[in-house]
Amino acid sequence: MRRFLSSQYFVLWVSLLYAAVMAPFTPAFLSPENALNILSSMLPLLIVAAGQTIILITGGIDLSVTSVIALASVLGAMTMTSTSGNVVTGIAVMLAAGALVGLINGIGMSAGRMPPFMVTLATMMFFGGFAVWITKSKNVGGLPRNFNAIGDSLPAVALIAIAIIAVLHFVLSRTTAGRWLYATGRNPRTALVSGVPVRLTTTAAYVVSGLLAAVASVIYTGRLETGSPVLGQRILLDVIAAVVIGGCSLFGGRGTVLWTVLGVLFITLVDNTLNLTGVSNFAVLIAKGGVILMAALLDTVRTRYATH
Amino acid sequence: MAIARRSTPLVILAAAVLAVCLACSPRHNQPTVGVVFETLQTEYWTASRDGIAAELKRRNVRMLEAIADGDANRQLEQVRNFITRKVDGIIVVPKDADTVIPMVRHANRAGIPIVLFNRPAAPSDTHSVAVVADNFAITRDTVSWLARKALQSGPKHKAAILLGDLGDLNAIARRDGYEAGLKPFGEAFETVSRIPTDWNQEKALAGITNALQAHPDIDFIFTSSDLLLPSIVSALKSAGKYKKSGEPGHVFLGAFDGDATAYRMLREGYLDADGVQDVDFDTATTVRAVMELKAGKQLPPRIVDNGFVIHQENLGAEARRMWGAKP
Repeated sequence: MRRFLSSQYFVLWVSLLYAAVMAPFTPAFLSPENALNILSSMLPLLIVAAGQTIILITGGIDLSVTSVIALASVLGAMTMTSTSGNVVTGIAVMLAAGALVGLINGIGMSAGRMPPFMVTLATMMFFGGFAVWITKSKNVGGLPRNFNAIGDSLPAVALIAIAIIAVLHFVLSRTTAGRWLYATGRNPRTALVSGVPVRLTTTAAYVVSGLLAAVASVIYTGRLETGSPVLGQRILLDVIAAVVIGGCSLFGGRGTVLWTVLGVLFITLVDNTLNLTGVSNFAVLIAKGGVILMAALLDTVRTRYATH
Repeated sequence: MAIARRSTPLVILAAAVLAVCLACSPRHNQPTVGVVFETLQTEYWTASRDGIAAELKRRNVRMLEAIADGDANRQLEQVRNFITRKVDGIIVVPKDADTVIPMVRHANRAGIPIVLFNRPAAPSDTHSVAVVADNFAITRDTVSWLARKALQSGPKHKAAILLGDLGDLNAIARRDGYEAGLKPFGEAFETVSRIPTDWNQEKALAGITNALQAHPDIDFIFTSSDLLLPSIVSALKSAGKYKKSGEPGHVFLGAFDGDATAYRMLREGYLDADGVQDVDFDTATTVRAVMELKAGKQLPPRIVDNGFVIHQENLGAEARRMWGAKP
């Protein structure tokens, strides 16, 4: 049982078992169209979750990702629909916005020595409110067709997601920067004494998280063909649940983006199957809450096994 | 490597189970309609959902339900899931007029009829039918009646309006209806406060409290939704201005929707007039529209619910049509 729970393939087995159990009761679940739907739902969430993985590895948390998505959405949309704007400039503005919020988060923690929860909660509220304020709560429509096509093109989104996962996996598993991230998460004091630039590492992690949230915003905004000041407001729990289900520890120092892929797959499967079966929304919320609770319990158990 | 060897039989077993399950997937012959609500967080939406469910059941149509919790992207995913289910029709309560467009486009591509409930889509190259209340006319008539009643008590009044989410076309139409309702009365009414609420009760409470502090002589309030009435009641009570119709210091109060809170306040004499969306008409028409589209019938892009105004003088006669008055 200990080996099974500690296995890096644990979530994969759970996902397969879940799919096997639900398939008889879920019409169209195993159809090719539904497989594409699952991929389509999964990929932008995976991109945000990959950024959150980096943060959790460092022992932090980033609550501001939802506001980054909204802020990037409206700034990009406003840029693209302005007289001098175009798609490239719009996307650049979106990415810059995400990186800037990440930088503010990182500086707040590294220089200001404030807890990640408080810093990112503050930036979540500030930039979320800012997005609503600059748009006066209205959507920005009329986006260029070639921008909308990015979010609508599953191959393009898949390429972006695969590239991001590949790069992050390489960095985490093969580079000094990756080792610094894990060291910072396991014990920042020890890491600092050992020569790890903890402040720089922490700041860089939050910049990456903000940047990846902005990439996801490009996809979500293109898919909805609208810059929305409330885009992505509800996905934070899904993001954190997926990362924790995947095996990343809330206590820091453990996790990989490949595990996060499995966590996102599982959470997407749960959403998809419950939606296809037409169960009431209240049942969906209860089920997802149960899944998140189980993920948190599992994290505690696996951390205990890892330390003993 | 050892783990991989031990894992292989498990993977093969799981794949075999999946293959068997594929052959066992359930099939239904009953027509199915997917219903996607933005939220169920108000009485109006709950009454609408219940009305749609009852009408579908009456027609022996199976209903699949999904709630997006205010997330437009989730709503899009839910619509796409229903398209994958190859439902016979889709009813959507859009979060807003813009983000519903790609949902309609997906349904159009799949050849599945789609009807929008309560909120229309913004102009686009997509095709859908929307069943919507004439928010402008209902609000105009409500405010107009309220203004005439207010003038019986005095020639000049200070007014406030609680606005909805201005990303919602319904909120914009109600705002415009309010202005149109007061326009014929010229300077008799001065709107001193326009309070943005985003359909949020906390924002409404803060906004109306501030308005009453800044303008203690406000005696005419219109709210774009009955949802915000509890916030107004709380603020009026704090200001000592929560008086029944006919009592000195009564604040003329008008609202929109027709929920149970509005009905109770009308009976008690605190609310003067309420613009009502005819939920029975809306839900029955929506279901009929999706079934007719499925049968190949052509329908206009918009079907309008003209609603009605209920006030203390016609409460006895019109209460039976008010959805919030039903037990």
